[in-house]
Amino acid sequence: MPEFEAAGVRPVAISVDSPEVSRNLANKAGYTFPMLSDPDAAVIRQYHLLHLAGGPDGHDIARPAEFLVDSSKVVRWTNFTEDIRVRARADDMLAAARELR
Amino acid sequence: MPNPTDRRRNLAPWWGLLFAIGAIGCNVAFFVSSPLQGALPWLSLSLAVLALIFLVAGLWRALGQPQVYRGRALSVVLSVIAVFAIGLTAFAFVSARKLPSSTAAAQVGQRVPDFSLSDTSGKRVSLDQLLAAGSGSPAPKALLLIFYRGYW
Repeated sequence: MPEFEAAGVRPVAISVDSPEVSRNLANKAGYTFPMLSDPDAAVIRQYHLLHLAGGPDGHDIARPAEFLVDSSKVVRWTNFTEDIRVRARADDMLAAARELR
Repeated sequence: MPNPTDRRRNLAPWWGLLFAIGAIGCNVAFFVSSPLQGALPWLSLSLAVLALIFLVAGLWRALGQPQVYRGRALSVVLSVIAVFAIGLTAFAFVSARKLPSSTAAAQVGQRVPDFSLSDTSGKRVSLDQLLAAGSGSPAPKALLLIFYRGYW
């Protein structure tokens, strides 16, 4: 995480989890960046990332995706995994962040 | 009928089981962050196919040529265990990749929609606020929006 700060990047995590669940995860994992709650997947839908009934209990959830967004809200880098087991690599995200000037 | 001890050992089912365990073991390797992570699904699938080939060969020997090869019952037992592991591997492969393509999502060069959502303390936070300077911290050069499945 200090690497992201050094690169001037603020990570923001978004999921359908409630604020309580996110708080528990943040405490357990030691995350200090904002974790936002989108329980009805309204923003997730708006971002075209809805995974219908993708949750363990048939809930609509977000498909995993990462966007590097600059200060004018323009996308500079994206990652859409094709396999939930394959996660975005911090190195890739940092490399994209360092290209921003 | 030749003496049973003259018959050859049938190692193919053992190899099949070994590859099947390797195939399912790839799922553990996903927890290790590595540049090769993207290749793991295909490695897992390849090992499962390899395992199947050895199992078929092993059973062919054990059941089709019992006069040449030993270990008929063992071959069947090993194959059943291996097929179970291969089944789990295939299931993991298919279910992990059942994702919407999201072709309509914002691409490089496009603007992302504004939003306002609750943070972990229940406070509403907007995209503009996230991009602004916070208490003591300067405005970030960029945000990394990470959408994740939740339910951890």
